[in-house]
Amino acid sequence: MTRKRISLKRLVTNVPALIGLLLVLLAVGSAVFAAHLAPHDPVAAELRLRLDPPGWDPASKAKYLLGADAVGRDMLTRIIYGSRISLMIGIASTAISMVLGVTLGLLSGYFGGWIESIVMRVADVQLAFPFILLALVIMAIFGGGLTKLILILGLTGWVSYARLVRSQVLSVRELDFVQAARSLGAKDLGIIWRHILPNVISSVIVLSTLQVATNILTEAGLTFLGLGVDPSIPSWGGMLADGRNYITNAWWVATFPGFAIMLTVLGVNLLGDWLRDELDPQLRV
Amino acid sequence: MFNRGIRMLGVAAVAMSLIVSGCSGNTSTPAPASSGATPSQPGAAAYKDKLVIGSALGDPQGSWDPIDTFVVAWGMVASNIFDGLVDRGTDLKIKPGLATEWKYTDDKTLEFKLRQGVKFHNGEPFNADSVVFTFDRLLGPEGEKSPQRSNYTSIDKVVKVDDYTVDFKLKETDPVLITKLAGYGGMIVPPKYIKEVGDAAFDVKPVGTGPYKVTAYTKDSQVVLEAYPDYWGEKAKTKNVVVRFIPEDATRIAEFQTGAIDIMQTVPVAQVKSLESDTNYKVIKVGGPGATALRFDVSKAPVDKLEVRQAIAYAIDTQTIIDTILGGNAKRISSFQGDISFGNNPSQQPFAYDPAKAKDLITKAGATGAKLDLFFSSKSTASKEIGQAIASYLKAVGLEVVLNPVDPQALSSQLIPQAKAGQMHLFGWGGWTLDFDNTAFLLYTKGQMWNPSFNDPKTNELLVKERGTNDQKVREQAFQELTARLRETMPDVPLYQSMAVWGTSAKVDGFTAPPDDRMRLSSVVVGK
Repeated sequence: MTRKRISLKRLVTNVPALIGLLLVLLAVGSAVFAAHLAPHDPVAAELRLRLDPPGWDPASKAKYLLGADAVGRDMLTRIIYGSRISLMIGIASTAISMVLGVTLGLLSGYFGGWIESIVMRVADVQLAFPFILLALVIMAIFGGGLTKLILILGLTGWVSYARLVRSQVLSVRELDFVQAARSLGAKDLGIIWRHILPNVISSVIVLSTLQVATNILTEAGLTFLGLGVDPSIPSWGGMLADGRNYITNAWWVATFPGFAIMLTVLGVNLLGDWLRDELDPQLRV
Repeated sequence: MFNRGIRMLGVAAVAMSLIVSGCSGNTSTPAPASSGATPSQPGAAAYKDKLVIGSALGDPQGSWDPIDTFVVAWGMVASNIFDGLVDRGTDLKIKPGLATEWKYTDDKTLEFKLRQGVKFHNGEPFNADSVVFTFDRLLGPEGEKSPQRSNYTSIDKVVKVDDYTVDFKLKETDPVLITKLAGYGGMIVPPKYIKEVGDAAFDVKPVGTGPYKVTAYTKDSQVVLEAYPDYWGEKAKTKNVVVRFIPEDATRIAEFQTGAIDIMQTVPVAQVKSLESDTNYKVIKVGGPGATALRFDVSKAPVDKLEVRQAIAYAIDTQTIIDTILGGNAKRISSFQGDISFGNNPSQQPFAYDPAKAKDLITKAGATGAKLDLFFSSKSTASKEIGQAIASYLKAVGLEVVLNPVDPQALSSQLIPQAKAGQMHLFGWGGWTLDFDNTAFLLYTKGQMWNPSFNDPKTNELLVKERGTNDQKVREQAFQELTARLRETMPDVPLYQSMAVWGTSAKVDGFTAPPDDRMRLSSVVVGK
């Protein structure tokens, strides 16, 4: 089996992928440099500027580029800071599910037997359980908050990794070079680490990009429902929920965070699509 | 307790004086439908036989039994199901209810003549036995856990003189008793029915003497009422009424604008302007006794220090909150009561906005950088925004606020009573008796449900003094000292008194916005 390589040259000539990359860089950039980029304090409310329109509107008092929210905070600043929450939750929760799912997938695919039975049955049970309900129950018992949200998303997302990895391991472990390694006396864990993992990791990467996008959306959804992060932390989902009340007279409050979510998720998905095309030998011409 | 209505903020608030609110109520409330067009007469076809109301206060915690409740959510509906001996309508004046007249025969005996020929919804006759039963129940073992009971403890017992005369024997004078008899706990219940079906059944299928009877009730969803044809007073004009519980602002306004509900309680401030300019709707603002405060749990650091509580009062620009978030529909207060409440001292000033002084006090108290939890209703837009504004104001003077939006029912019935609502919470109070006695007793004396930890001997002493006499001069003097004392000791920061904002479809006629949220639906009609 050959290792697949990602070509940067193919990336810059592929327009959708390039757009995706730029959008992701934009989001990551504002998350990392929020304190330097943001023109104002994200928490300081200036009540007199409540629902001040965007800067280009002649009625705007403060000339905030994207206007002010219901307690007079700069929308642009909050959107920039909001990228931290979205990306942190998206990436951290995906990392948790990835490590957990890949490990369990490798073990159950390679060893089979009772390990496989247990892992796959637990996965089935988990899949049968509606995610939102699970999140609601956990949040109701332990309360909301950033860490809990990341853990919930992380601990429920492992199933797709485990299933994907297991199915790939089932075919990879029968390949000649694995058999060869085994007959030369290599230990099981060594084989898994050195020979099997590198052969399944490309699909895992693709799945992860898609899951980062899904988790960003789920966080926004849960915060919108009032179950996510504390409202004093600027988050896109929370801003969207606040803006819902003003959609008829202050469109900017809901619209801009909505765009931020849409563009970031779009960017991650475009990049993920391209990665899949790159890494899938069957699609490579 | 009527008045103990806890409505977690909610409303866009505010309050103008009684006079001003009276005016605004009148100008925007349509004149009652002309008599030629009432449904009970020919021509009734002009009106629908069903009225749908969207309640912002939600379900009255699962029970319609008057002794189980303290929330305004109960009173807004149940005032149409039950009657008390006396009645206080939307004009806030006391008038005869199930009693036709009353007088003090001596200092501690209050005699009522009862209305004759009145029947409960199940056909059971109303008489002296019903009154005796109602108060035996409230004051006996049955009412032990009742949140209503503490309001009626001045009554020793109620004695039947003849079938239509009762004597209230009092343990002590109670200057607010007559008003309180129009309150929730004073609602007369049917003895035979309760003995037959039991308490649990009465909770969900109540029977009273009011203009509407309950035909169906689904917890947290809706209650369906039907006009009671044998009502003793003005009979209801619309046959069916559905009150739907929709505490979420955005959902309620959406239902209202699609025409699914005819009368909407609490129009969110953001929507007031657009509804006012639309001829399909009417917006009615009414000032009432309801007030909102930022309450402290004084046992928790750092608000156990008086300096920190004072600093918080100086740090918050309440007037700006009123002008912006509440759209001007509120008025500042200096004690936890509206300006029409007996006991309010108009010359006492609210705390001025002075962030520099606040910062000083916090530095002196060594509390700079301290973290405080603020609890408030997650259902109300106004309280969420006020919470965020307070967080910002306190950050500016060196305090970190963690916002905790929670379910309003959980907040009032569990978190506050169990002292689990952090250092501060936003708290709304109905103030229904229009007398500071009830508010002060329930919120500032030790061991009361919504007083987590405040206990001050001087406050207790003043309350005993005020409660012990019918002499209004002495009482007023005691209240002046009390409000001054509360300002010194600061169990809370009184923020503003509220104005309720109601929305109705333009087709609705005969609806008067109730200043105390207790709707009276008999005269309401909806055009086709």
